[in-house]
Amino acid sequence: MHRPPSLRRTGLRRAAACLALLWAAPAAAQPSENAVKAAFLTKFPAYVDWPASLRIAPGAPINLCILGGDPFGRTIDEAARGQQVDGHPIAIRRMAGAAGAEICQIAFVDGDSAHGTGDMLRALQGRPVLTVTDGRDGPERGMIHFVVAGGRVRFHIDQAAAESCGLTFNARLLAIALSVRTGR
Amino acid sequence: MPPLRRPLTRLAERWQNAPLAGGLLALFLLAAGLGVIFLSARSYAFQKQQETEVQAQILAASVTAALDFGDTRTAQESVDALGVNPQVSAAGVYDSAGRLFAGYARSPGLLSARFDRRAPRGGNLVEATAPVLRGGQPIGIVYLQAVREPLSRRLARYGVVGLLALMAALIVLILGIAQNALRRANRALEERAEALSGAYAELQVQVEERAKAEEQLRQAQKMQALGQLTGGIAHDFNNLLTVIQGSADILRRPGLDEEKRVRFAGAIAQTATRAAALTSQLLAFARRQPLQPQILDVNEQIVEMTDLLDRALGERIAIRTDLGADLCAIEADPAQLESAILNIAVNARDAMLGKDPSGGGTLTLATGDAVLDDGRRAVAISVADTGTGIPAEMLEHVFEPFFTTKSVGRGTGLGLSQVYGFATQSGGDIRVESEVGRGTRVILILPCSTKTEAPEEVREGGHEGAARAAHILVVDDNEPVGLLAEALMEELGHKVTRAHSGLEALRLAQRTGFDIVFTDVVMPGMSGLDLAERLAEVLPGVPVVLTTGFSDEIARSGTGGRPVLFKPYRLDSLAEVLDSVLASNDREPADRQAGDQ
Repeated sequence: MHRPPSLRRTGLRRAAACLALLWAAPAAAQPSENAVKAAFLTKFPAYVDWPASLRIAPGAPINLCILGGDPFGRTIDEAARGQQVDGHPIAIRRMAGAAGAEICQIAFVDGDSAHGTGDMLRALQGRPVLTVTDGRDGPERGMIHFVVAGGRVRFHIDQAAAESCGLTFNARLLAIALSVRTGR
Repeated sequence: MPPLRRPLTRLAERWQNAPLAGGLLALFLLAAGLGVIFLSARSYAFQKQQETEVQAQILAASVTAALDFGDTRTAQESVDALGVNPQVSAAGVYDSAGRLFAGYARSPGLLSARFDRRAPRGGNLVEATAPVLRGGQPIGIVYLQAVREPLSRRLARYGVVGLLALMAALIVLILGIAQNALRRANRALEERAEALSGAYAELQVQVEERAKAEEQLRQAQKMQALGQLTGGIAHDFNNLLTVIQGSADILRRPGLDEEKRVRFAGAIAQTATRAAALTSQLLAFARRQPLQPQILDVNEQIVEMTDLLDRALGERIAIRTDLGADLCAIEADPAQLESAILNIAVNARDAMLGKDPSGGGTLTLATGDAVLDDGRRAVAISVADTGTGIPAEMLEHVFEPFFTTKSVGRGTGLGLSQVYGFATQSGGDIRVESEVGRGTRVILILPCSTKTEAPEEVREGGHEGAARAAHILVVDDNEPVGLLAEALMEELGHKVTRAHSGLEALRLAQRTGFDIVFTDVVMPGMSGLDLAERLAEVLPGVPVVLTTGFSDEIARSGTGGRPVLFKPYRLDSLAEVLDSVLASNDREPADRQAGDQ
């Protein structure tokens, strides 16, 4: 039987391996915060279930609406282009306010002021629309709320608000959230 | 062959192949055990692969969101969680571009930074990949690497199975061996049973041989006794015949004077009487003596004998009598009783004179009541002497024929055996008590008679001639005896016709009216008794007189009331019997006539 390698040498090797891993990730690309958020927005529909009554017709797109200001610009269009959720493409729709937001499955709410965000959120309240807000825009929180923690884009989830509108989060998404607010 | 053998043999034959079958079964069990191990090993590999793939799929599912949203920490947590399983050596999550997103390696070098599908590591490793799907679309891949269970542990696991198979095989083998041993034991048992039956058969043969040898020994003893008997008889008879022959020779000489003729004729008659006594004794011993029992008073008989004993024993022997009072009467032949007492007395005299020839002694005759072994009342006649006595070892032989302590020529050895024969034939017993130097006592025990009245025996005086001349048919197959009877009867004045067989006699009797038919009993063909029966049927009025020297038939069934004259008979007794028969026959027709009137 072989003697295990000494602890010290094993530790050194591990450190080397970790360094290599860390090196590999930033070396590939250094996406901007907005780009990450845009990518996230296009990925959320895969982890959320809408009520069965609002099932989207086959082939019909999932509407990702950007209400109020648009911090992403072209980035989000590029991110949505390659995404498909269960065969549904993702369509980006930009709206100035909550009016007409009934067609949205996901709504990124970014008001001009803190007030505006809160108004729009209240206007969407009770509708099966997954609302997403950004911590940079104020304290108003949608069902998903972006923050930057440890230099990386993370999010909080308000499961109670989602459930009150008939939306269900995939457990895998809940697992990677910074925090999950539940009704209980 | 004992019936035990067949089932045993059949059983043994049936199980002859048992050890071979046992061995084959053991081999089969071992093979089955190895097969189970092989299958188990194969299924282990397959199962391990499946398990690893399932784990990879689980990992893929759990890191989907983390990979999707670039949450390395969460992904790393999921991967690290797998690391708890010691069999997982490496796990990696690669993004859609094949870059390592999160990974765990038990030792460095196990996980490559880029996913390479075509680099299976093989060896002791089990590898599995699973795509990370989001909404049915692959967004990355999970790579899982597990080590197989260490060989030693697997071997230990298989060892249990192997051990079980081995034990089963051993049990089967041991059973086979035990079966074999049982069969051998059965065979040994069978052989032993066979040997036993052989020994039994041998024993049977030995027993038979032994019985045969004993039979031969008995036969030899019988022949010896017979030789002794014939020797004794020959000796005594030769003496008697010498006298008769010599006397007859002298009588035949011409010119013999009257005095000598009378003397030698007298000698012949006397010697013949002694010979008759000898044959009578022989028959008494053989218990075939025709007894003529009468009701007797024992005391009276002994008193009558005293004179005879005085003369027989001589002057030097004193005779004392001690007779009991009120004895019961016995039923016996008086001549035989007299002969028995005389025999004992003569032996006693010889014993007393043998002890002291000049001295003499006392003979005591005593009578008294006695009881037989079976409880019957009896009379004991005791004859005691003061002689030499008989040693104990000889006492049991004293009643055997021709057993004698006397010198040759002095005794026949038949005396006490005559006494024994008489006693037993009379339904009694005999006992001897003796002490060497003191004397001997012989006790004759005779049962009391149930009859009360003693018939009067009327004896007539000698006959000069017959009371009435009669025509007599003499039947005898023996020519000289027939001639003698004819001569004697003619001497008595009767007319005689002779026949030589029963049939001839029957023919003659039916043709001629005879007054008496005088027939021998023992004859070839029709016996005298048969003849008497036939005559009683065809000629009931003709009386039949039987004569015989000895007859089993008469001893067995009697004469049917007919008179019997025992040979050798003398002129007087012949005349007496014929006269009495004629007299009663003359009376009977008269009675019948009286009855008719």
